Amino acid sequence: MATNYKFKKVKAGRDHIADNFHNALSLSDMAKHAHISPYHFLRVFRDTYGETPNEFLIRLRVTHAKKLLITENHSVSEICEHVGYSSLGSFSSLFLKQTGMAPTLYRRKLWALSAEPFCFPSQAIPACYAYHFLGK
Amino acid sequence: MITSIAHATIYVLNQDEALDFYKNKLGFEVGDDMKVEGGFRWLTVYPKSNSQLQLVLAEPKEGPMFNKEAAEKIRSLITEGAFGAGVFETENCQQTYEELVAKGVEFIQPPTEQLYGVEAMGLDNSGNWFSLVQR
Repeated sequence: MATNYKFKKVKAGRDHIADNFHNALSLSDMAKHAHISPYHFLRVFRDTYGETPNEFLIRLRVTHAKKLLITENHSVSEICEHVGYSSLGSFSSLFLKQTGMAPTLYRRKLWALSAEPFCFPSQAIPACYAYHFLGK
Repeated sequence: MITSIAHATIYVLNQDEALDFYKNKLGFEVGDDMKVEGGFRWLTVYPKSNSQLQLVLAEPKEGPMFNKEAAEKIRSLITEGAFGAGVFETENCQQTYEELVAKGVEFIQPPTEQLYGVEAMGLDNSGNWFSLVQR
């Protein structure tokens, strides 16, 4: 029961991140929602989910940014703001680190692969589905 | 070593209607909703706050994998309830059941005690069954 109680608290913190990833979020904000001390939250979160709260936050932001880069015609700085970063520089370098490409290059590469802009190339979905539904 | 399951497929009769059901009735979040070259719509949903496993809502259509006859056969099997969307977990089966019934979700079994917890069985709007389990 004690474990379940602890899990519920960490999950509340994780829910808070998932719901608010597009806003500025500090570790103490996250921990506050879990009613645990920041350091303890960090440790229990990592043990439970296999990634730190910050890694989870970055993952959500980069995933969302990728989607916006392809489906929306917003500028990179608009997208940066949209996913919760105030500095374009730190967003770009983070994106580069995560995907191996700068945001603009990522957009250009995927748009080039697609027959029409704002339409994902089949490489954007798991290959088994592309094969199953598109034959490639 | 395989560490987790990222996507599982559920065949639906109509993606727009299925999206409405999973989003507005079951309260799922939309993961991806994108048009892929070749006219395929990649549509995934997941329960709020846990995006680890996403359900791919796919329409069986004539294409590389299915001929016309096979696609139609699958559609009629969906309607007959031959496929399951899986097991959805809840913290309170009775409460979730009542919320979903109020939203018009059809159930074929009310919350019932089982060896592994309390389980209700419902249908999505294509006819796929799903279990609602409290462990």
